[in-house]
Amino acid sequence: MEAPPVTMMPVTGGTINMMEYLLQGSVLDRSLESLIHRLRGLCDNMEPETFLDHEMVFLLKGQQASPFVLRARRSMDRGGVPWHLRYLGQPEMGDKNRHALVRNCVDIATSENLTDFLMEMGFRMDHEFVAKGHLFRKGIMKIMVYKIFRILVPGNTENTEPLSLSYLVELSVVAPAGQDMVSDDMRNFAEQLKPLVHLEKIDPKRLM
Amino acid sequence: MSGVRAVRISIESACEKQVQEVGLDGTETYLQPLSMSQNLARLAQRIDFSQGSGSDDDDAPADGDAHDWAGTGAGPGAEQDEDEGLVKFQPSLWPWDSVRNNLRNSLTEMCVLYDVLSIVRDKKFMTLDPVSQDALPPKQTLQLISKKKSLAGAAQILLKGAERLTKSVTENQENKLQRDFNSELLRLRQHWKLRKVGDKILGDLSYRSAGSLFPHHGTFEVIKNTDVDLDKKIPEDYCPLDVQIPSDLEGSAYIKVSIQKQSPDIGDLGTVNLFKRPLLKSKPGSPHWQTKLEAAQNVLLCKEIFAQLSREAVQIKSQIPHIVVKNQILSQPFPNLQLSISLCHSSNDKKSQKSTTEKQSPEDHLYVLEHNLHLLIREFHKQTLSSIMMPHPASLPFGHKRMRLSGPQAFDKNEISSIQSTEGLLEKIIKQAKHIFLRSRAAATIDSLASRIEDPQIQAHWSNISDVYESSVKVLITSQGYEQICKSIQLQLNIGVEQIRVVHRDGRVVTLSHQEQELQDFLLSQMSQHQVHAVQQLAKVMGWQVLSFSNHVGLGPIESIGNASAITVASPSGDYAISVRNGPESGSKIMVQFPRNQCKDLPKSDVLQDSKWNHLRGPFKEVEWNKMEGRNFVYKMELLMSALSPCLL
Repeated sequence: MEAPPVTMMPVTGGTINMMEYLLQGSVLDRSLESLIHRLRGLCDNMEPETFLDHEMVFLLKGQQASPFVLRARRSMDRGGVPWHLRYLGQPEMGDKNRHALVRNCVDIATSENLTDFLMEMGFRMDHEFVAKGHLFRKGIMKIMVYKIFRILVPGNTENTEPLSLSYLVELSVVAPAGQDMVSDDMRNFAEQLKPLVHLEKIDPKRLM
Repeated sequence: MSGVRAVRISIESACEKQVQEVGLDGTETYLQPLSMSQNLARLAQRIDFSQGSGSDDDDAPADGDAHDWAGTGAGPGAEQDEDEGLVKFQPSLWPWDSVRNNLRNSLTEMCVLYDVLSIVRDKKFMTLDPVSQDALPPKQTLQLISKKKSLAGAAQILLKGAERLTKSVTENQENKLQRDFNSELLRLRQHWKLRKVGDKILGDLSYRSAGSLFPHHGTFEVIKNTDVDLDKKIPEDYCPLDVQIPSDLEGSAYIKVSIQKQSPDIGDLGTVNLFKRPLLKSKPGSPHWQTKLEAAQNVLLCKEIFAQLSREAVQIKSQIPHIVVKNQILSQPFPNLQLSISLCHSSNDKKSQKSTTEKQSPEDHLYVLEHNLHLLIREFHKQTLSSIMMPHPASLPFGHKRMRLSGPQAFDKNEISSIQSTEGLLEKIIKQAKHIFLRSRAAATIDSLASRIEDPQIQAHWSNISDVYESSVKVLITSQGYEQICKSIQLQLNIGVEQIRVVHRDGRVVTLSHQEQELQDFLLSQMSQHQVHAVQQLAKVMGWQVLSFSNHVGLGPIESIGNASAITVASPSGDYAISVRNGPESGSKIMVQFPRNQCKDLPKSDVLQDSKWNHLRGPFKEVEWNKMEGRNFVYKMELLMSALSPCLL
């Protein structure tokens, strides 16, 4: 049997090629309250929700130098919701005119036996973590404020410790490719969060 | 000192020579003392000739003394030093010059005085008159002036004070006004969404935050009501805060829903005017901002409802297309029946006032539907809000939760399309209108039957609780006086949107369409069956035997509605038999079978010779039912049965 084709090309599944526009920042634990308060004022008029997710990152090594990465995520605090399998492409910084990081993304809701399926396909788990935090929404913008917890014993999500003393803040929009206007909205929104948190487009390649 | 002669003591100044300066080595240089003549000249120069004559006498001896003193002090060398003094002190002609000048002036004055006096003495050219003392009058004016001045000063102070007072009073009043404005603004903020844009305060009337997608901006402006005169009395209902509402949201509006039996002329379409009740007389002055805003919001909501309905009316494909004309939507839920939904908006101007005087159509509002439309749009709003579910896990994009489940749970096409399809406002309201119409028509049918037909009786028990799309009624068919024994027909009518489902007591279900004739026919056939059932029940009570029973008789004339039913019962002794055939249309036909021996006209049979055969029943005879006594069918039957079974009495 042939190995599944592994490609680094943008995945054009479905009818529309979706892109994720992303801005990131972080706040210290002690300023979380004021940030949450500000977000409640700015975001859509609904009760802010908390979430507790477990994410596993799977790799598939092909002939190419860089492996193929898939992220499987499940909700730990809600029952009856599907798992989430996500492919994220290479982030593009773009020029000055685009105010957000853009990356290709494919989102699929899956059943619970996703890990087994991926393992069978030849993926192996690279790392896993638990994300716990708050979720806000303003129009099509999604704001996640969460803390990443390290899993001490692999597979045991009960036994965790915080990775840092700060919260990660992500402002993201999933939109069809080419709609760079959304990044303007994101920039405006990020401006309103200053100086509580500075949301910027952070190039992950530079951090490595 | 007494007894001792006075001793003359001359006193000289201790230092004869005045020290001019003391040198560094201590040597003193002295001033040359004045000579006698010099001293005299000096003293003479001191004489003030201009002094008043009165004081001359006093001064003269003093001068003399001074001369003496100087003379005693200076000694004999006065004449000698006269030339030196001339050089030293008098740069002018000679030392006595000033004295001489003064004396001469005095002489001149004396001469003039002498001349004047001599002239006065002649009284020829000049007289001496006492001078009137005019000192007072000028003094009075001066006083007046000064008084005036001080009064003016006082007045100025008072005026200044008054000015400050009025200023502070107006400031106070203005502050009060300002404060009132602020407190009103605070109250406004508690109920309405406000934001500041530039130097304006804008508010939001729209239901957007509640989930509305209506594109109208619904913005009102908060203004400060300053057109009131502070000096005049402030009117009772004065409010320092006023709101400016967009012109298209002014006035009042409502949605009118009505069902008409026949379609109106095409010319009438869209020109329905709609204000049935006279407009409330607007109170003098502008209404309070709260009422104003609520009215405007209501207008906005009505507009949204109507816009939504019109959009759906155009989009939805139905057998009979919906018509949207101006402010009216027409739809035909049932044939010959027209549902009209109209937006009535009056903007309080003269044009609309005039139209209210026009003759109004009779009361045909469907208030329930109007209310339900408001409920539906709110539900619609809520749906748009609640469909925005936060995704879990958080990384998922926003979307419908059931849509996400469709993949993992392998939904088929029907299930997926059922998620997507949502019933529109218009469809729902048409369904409700259909139901309401069907219900009222069913009620009318039952009522008309009940009033038209006295025997048997129809009772309808409507349930209090019903759904917007379904209500139920229990129909009992009874005979008066025999309610306890004749309980055979109990029908449960479930009135839906398109049809009526009838559930019999024994569980049989009959589905009727919306045509009222069907229900009427059905009930008629049920009533005719009831009579036969009643005979059956009565037979049981009376001890008669049921020989045969059929709900649907296949023989005899064909009924246009349903089927005739028949029963044959035999008397307890078996001598008599009663046969009843009852059809919904043909009515009842009752036959009685007599024993053979009671029939005189029966031809003697050759076969039945034996007397025992006399107990066989003979031929049937029809009873003239109309002439029977009794108030209803069952009563008559009871009488008949009693008459035919005398042994029981």
